Amino acid sequence: MGVPRPVEADLAAPFYRPVGDEVEVFLAAARRGLPVLLKGPTGCGKTRFVEAMAHRLGRGLVTVAGHEDLTSADLVGRFLLKGGETVWVDGPLTRAVRDGAICYLDEVVEARQDTTVVIHPLTDHRRQLPVDRLGIVLDAEPGFQLVISYNPGYQSVLKDLKDSTRQRFVAIELGFPPPDVETDVVAHEAEVDRDTAAALVAVGQAIRNLAASPLREVASTRALILAGSMAAAGLSLRRAVQSAVVDILSDDPDLAAALGELVDAVLPR
Amino acid sequence: MTAAAGARSGHPGRFRLLATALAGRPLGVEDAPGGDGPYTDGVNVFVSPGVAADDQRRQVVLQAALLGAGSLDAPVARALRGRPKVARRYLAVEGRRVLADLAPRLPSLALALAVDGPVVSTGVEESLALASGRARLPEPPAWFGRIRPGRLLGTAAAGPGSPPTPSDLRAALALTPEAEAGEDDDESGEESKLLKLFQNPLAKSNALSEFLGRLLGMSRTPAPGPGASGGDLATAAARRVGAVGPDARPLPVPLSLTGDEAPGPAGVGGALYPEWDVHKARYRPEWCRVLEIPLGPAADVAAGAVERDQVLHRRLARLGLGPKVLRRRPDGDDLDVDALIDLAVDLRAGHSPAEHVYLERRKLARNLGVLVLLDASGSATDLDPAGRSVHEHQRRAAVTLAATLEELGDRVAVYGFRSRGRSAVEMLAVKPFGHRFGAGGRAHLHRLAPAGYTRLGAAVRHAGEVLKAQAGTPNRLLVVLSDGFPFDDGYESRYAEADARKALEEVRGDGVACLCLSIGAPTPTESLDRVFGSASHASAPVLSDLSPRMDELFLGALKELAVPNPAARRNAVRFPSAGW
Repeated sequence: MGVPRPVEADLAAPFYRPVGDEVEVFLAAARRGLPVLLKGPTGCGKTRFVEAMAHRLGRGLVTVAGHEDLTSADLVGRFLLKGGETVWVDGPLTRAVRDGAICYLDEVVEARQDTTVVIHPLTDHRRQLPVDRLGIVLDAEPGFQLVISYNPGYQSVLKDLKDSTRQRFVAIELGFPPPDVETDVVAHEAEVDRDTAAALVAVGQAIRNLAASPLREVASTRALILAGSMAAAGLSLRRAVQSAVVDILSDDPDLAAALGELVDAVLPR
Repeated sequence: MTAAAGARSGHPGRFRLLATALAGRPLGVEDAPGGDGPYTDGVNVFVSPGVAADDQRRQVVLQAALLGAGSLDAPVARALRGRPKVARRYLAVEGRRVLADLAPRLPSLALALAVDGPVVSTGVEESLALASGRARLPEPPAWFGRIRPGRLLGTAAAGPGSPPTPSDLRAALALTPEAEAGEDDDESGEESKLLKLFQNPLAKSNALSEFLGRLLGMSRTPAPGPGASGGDLATAAARRVGAVGPDARPLPVPLSLTGDEAPGPAGVGGALYPEWDVHKARYRPEWCRVLEIPLGPAADVAAGAVERDQVLHRRLARLGLGPKVLRRRPDGDDLDVDALIDLAVDLRAGHSPAEHVYLERRKLARNLGVLVLLDASGSATDLDPAGRSVHEHQRRAAVTLAATLEELGDRVAVYGFRSRGRSAVEMLAVKPFGHRFGAGGRAHLHRLAPAGYTRLGAAVRHAGEVLKAQAGTPNRLLVVLSDGFPFDDGYESRYAEADARKALEEVRGDGVACLCLSIGAPTPTESLDRVFGSASHASAPVLSDLSPRMDELFLGALKELAVPNPAARRNAVRFPSAGW
């Protein structure tokens, strides 16, 4: 299996526009090495926020995407067969513990509950990672910090964080940025002018503010950036929104048509 | 779905999100009945049918914008009620004002929404004052439609999603009036025994007993009114109710049909089930008598052919509900020590076998018990164009599903149900849990002739009990094969739909997953939504149309049980006196 490499810290700083006091909260948690729980809808900038923070702190970043077959061995490491003998290979979490990097577990609720328990000893005063298969206990390096993300009310209403896991974290709630900030973000990321970005953000706002929306999800900042990128690549704005927002949000032709009408009304012709 | 969507492409419903966005509340868009001009009742916008889409769009925009700007709020509607001329003048003024406010937000519609005539008002009150006055005002264009204050006021209070009115809240808090309980003395003995010693049966005045009562704090009763004698202290305090409250669910009462003195055929059983009365919003306890009837040996087993559905088999085979350890895998979490030793031995001996030396945990364990509940009522006799009845479609689907699941090693039962009034709901045990689904059971199923009516709620409740008692597996699934059209004597339309929906909710609240399949039935989707509620449901002309996503349907229904369900906790308040 591929082991994620730490993101190099000497790249250009990732673009992140703070909305509230999330940066101060994160830095305070980082000073004490406290684990952080990022909450927020999909595509609102959680991953980008962690990248920006890791860069600012000058620490490595190890990202693991949660999926429902993620096992504790995937995090901690396992024996692999090489030639005639077995060799231990560190998992991403072990690597971050040894290197003092930030370990970001994306969508951790997707993982099985027995997997999330592995992180417990790392998240309290012990800051230790027991590696049962090696029979050792690793003390986390000073820079090590655990960050997990979590989509409340995402499709995984089926799954929830255990309370015993939850209460070990400092929570930072991220939402979609306010229109003016979001316009900046879309304009910067998609490389479109501010008017186009503002039109896209207006579409996003209209969809997010629908009362009793029949949609499972709303248009995220990421979806708006995608639409903007498509427009920047030469597609008409309406078609870009159709392909990156409308057709993504609904498979139901009726609903897509209704959404199309809304987009038509909001976008300048 | 594709055919239906094609037919609806010209439907004004596609403006509903636009209307919702503008009005700031959920709003539907429908054709106005009888070709009436555009208007809104606060829940729907009704547009002129048959006019161009652009026209309909601006009709919707105006009506929704009026709602969004608060121009049609209850005080305004009350002021306009019974004054059509004023309403028309108000619409002309307020419509122009609202559109002018809206134009910057909807740049692409500015042209379509342009109206001649100046904006003369700055707010709702001013528009209303202008409309009530005598000044000359421009006429509203035809697409402004009209304001129907009566409709607005009629739906304002009762629309779905609207906040509860004070009267709603009062109704919810009102205590159920209780008749005097006759027998349960231990609960209602409110009189103080000690106080009785001080009662004077001769004197008319009860001042002494009142005084003592207050002094000693032993009386739980307020002072009795004038005329009450000292020997008859009235009791009027809160008591535990003896009868079922509106939200508590009565438990089924089992029937014993056979006994020592009247031995009957083995396996006959049944119970009295409650039924949900949507009109009174409470249960009717012990309302439906459900009889479980075993089927004897089949006379003709030749009819028991099963249609194979390979897609269904493959899909359901993938269904995994719990982790299972697989040995000797090419990749996995841990080393499989046995395999590793074998490998080392082989390597030393000069062989080079494949390096399958890992343990892998995958979600493959099933532990699934499924009860297929088949509608065997007369309402399933309608023929489709190919000449097959709905019943035949459902029966075939039941055979295929049950046979496939049994092959895959799940515990399966198949029950048919039909009813003749509330005292005779029959559950035909085509294949109980303990039996093999052999040729006999299949022949029974094939020869099951539709008869009687559909008391869906009682059948679902009984099926839930059977699953809970007999499935013996941690994962339990009830598959209801029905046309979604409950009907019986005194069991119709809204009442029947509400009871069926309630029954499904109860069963799901008790930890049994529900999946409702409507095969070959022409029932419209809205109706299925009403009957099956939030339970997973799907419909298709034939089973094989659903087969490719049957694993998703099963998993979707079963996964719901993984979440803590507040409704289940609420339903857990049980009827106290009718236990098993």
